[in-house]
Amino acid sequence: MAKDAFGAKVKEKVNWPVTILLLIGLITIIFPLYMAVVIAFKDPSEMTNDIAGILSLPSSWSLDNFIEAIQVTDFFNSFLNSLIITVVAVVISVLVHSIAAYAIGRNMDSKKLFKWSYYFIVAGMYVPFAILMMPLVKQTAILHLDNMVGVMILYVVFYMPMNMMLYTGYLRNIPIALEEAARVDGASTWTTYWKVIFPLMKPMHATVAVLTGLAVWNDVMTPLVIMGGQGVNTLPLAQMSFQTAFSTNYNLAFASYLLAMLPMIIFYVFAQKQIINGVTNGAVK
Amino acid sequence: MAELSLEHVGKTYPNGYEGVKDFNLQIADKEFIIFVGPSGCGKSTTLRMIAGLEDITSGTLKIDGRVVNDVEPKDRDIAMVFQNYALYPHMTVYDNMAFPLKLRKVDAAQIDKIVREAARILDLEKLLDRKPSALSGGQRQRVAMGRAIARQPKVFLMDEPLSNLDAKLRVQMRAEISKLHDRLGATIIYVTHDQTEAMTLGTRIVVMKDGVMQQVDTPSNLYSKPCNLFVAGFIGSPQMNFIDARVGEKGGKITLTFGANTITVPDAKAKALKPYVGKVVIAGIRPEDVVEEHEYAENKKLSEKIAATVTVYELLGSEAMIYGDVDGGQISAHLSATNPVRTGDRIQVAFDVDKLHVFDKETELAIVH
Repeated sequence: MAKDAFGAKVKEKVNWPVTILLLIGLITIIFPLYMAVVIAFKDPSEMTNDIAGILSLPSSWSLDNFIEAIQVTDFFNSFLNSLIITVVAVVISVLVHSIAAYAIGRNMDSKKLFKWSYYFIVAGMYVPFAILMMPLVKQTAILHLDNMVGVMILYVVFYMPMNMMLYTGYLRNIPIALEEAARVDGASTWTTYWKVIFPLMKPMHATVAVLTGLAVWNDVMTPLVIMGGQGVNTLPLAQMSFQTAFSTNYNLAFASYLLAMLPMIIFYVFAQKQIINGVTNGAVK
Repeated sequence: MAELSLEHVGKTYPNGYEGVKDFNLQIADKEFIIFVGPSGCGKSTTLRMIAGLEDITSGTLKIDGRVVNDVEPKDRDIAMVFQNYALYPHMTVYDNMAFPLKLRKVDAAQIDKIVREAARILDLEKLLDRKPSALSGGQRQRVAMGRAIARQPKVFLMDEPLSNLDAKLRVQMRAEISKLHDRLGATIIYVTHDQTEAMTLGTRIVVMKDGVMQQVDTPSNLYSKPCNLFVAGFIGSPQMNFIDARVGEKGGKITLTFGANTITVPDAKAKALKPYVGKVVIAGIRPEDVVEEHEYAENKKLSEKIAATVTVYELLGSEAMIYGDVDGGQISAHLSATNPVRTGDRIQVAFDVDKLHVFDKETELAIVH
């Protein structure tokens, strides 16, 4: 119960239809998650073929599955690879996309070349990955980029259209007078960008970092087709191994899935505010 | 400090629109020049051309004898105060003021000295660690001024710096700027659409309209001797009364007739009106030069009486304004607050004919003032 301005208790109105919808939504997330957690902690022998075998709580909570999963998937190596790819892709995206958006955003109203470059880049959003997949496999192989470096480069390119749109949209909120003031104060275009524009785009850097970071971290397709079969795994890629070799060992698979989720959950707990801000920022602008 | 010279300066936009046409002006050292005019008259464009933020299409701009048409803003040795202040939101007041100095690689101790001195002049010392978002409008305005002062430029350019402030603060800052000018001995070019600011601050005022310079003169000359109808109407508040009148000649005297009223023009002004006998001209008289019957004074040279009906009475405190209809036109006049005249009254007024202005109806240029 909430309190009004005078400290008296006020009964809050409950919006039942929305509450029920949200509860149903919650169940669809909670239930599979519950299953994953329960199974991950169970001994394989507890898995019987009836519903109870799947849904019951483990008789003893054991971390054996996790330990084995860490060994089987080479977890720390995969984790490190994922981390390197994500961090590098995000940092380069923020630097390159923001600077490109600055050049294009500030010139597209007066110069045709910039306007059409903008349309060209943003049009990239509508090209499905499936179409690019086979040519990219060939090209990266020819260029010897069928490795982590290639994957990072591809990510920077893939997320450019979206980030470009976000940055140019945000740039319109930054008054041109600030740049003029900087020019009169003696700043070159380069200095103006780094000292004035880049710091002012901080909220958008957060948005771009979160959206790009989440997408890259969870992506399985690009590393699979570009650097598959080379013994270098990312976290999502490592999970794929269970679909063949351990198709019967659900306990191990779920333990591994939870492990893969863990970094993101920890990240979410710490950066919750920024992520939510970031996503809504992206939605509005 | 510096002298500026604008010779035949013009601005034509890519779409062919001429923003500023053939602008000629010599600005002496330590002058406080005001560009004034209605929106879209090209005053800001001219200022921006001087700043280097806008290309000059034709003509030459010299600062201290050096042609600077193609010189980057930073190398023109100017500082600009923007209408919306353009403070860097992510920097503290101190950093905002130090920014131009840092860019010029002034050493840190020197920067500190200059910034603190500027802050002291503008009473910003306690605010140096704040971000612009934590400041009031007036404080932001002072920081914008401070940034310009810290830069120690040859010329200060100010683009409507007070227009975002409330009325009271504006009057206060107006006085501050005036003091600042005396103190810094700087050349200042100031753009405004507010004629009170123009009259009170400027050593000379440039009145502009549609990209064309109308008149350049001291505030008092501009007020007493406007060169055309536009300047006469623009300078002065409430604006000058304009009445269409026919020029006549009676007994060797030149007269002006509107409706049933005829007034005699004093001899000093009659000569210039001779060629206009029989033609219609525009007579102009400022509200304070329209005298109501109760306030007739010996020392003024008054015209024949004119009957008027008061339609609006406004008490302004120390004085009052009336608006009324006369045969052949409408008229506004200043009254003293003690004057008993009220709305609806039939009154008699007379013009102080020494202060009469007459304009050509076709060219709108002043014939006599």
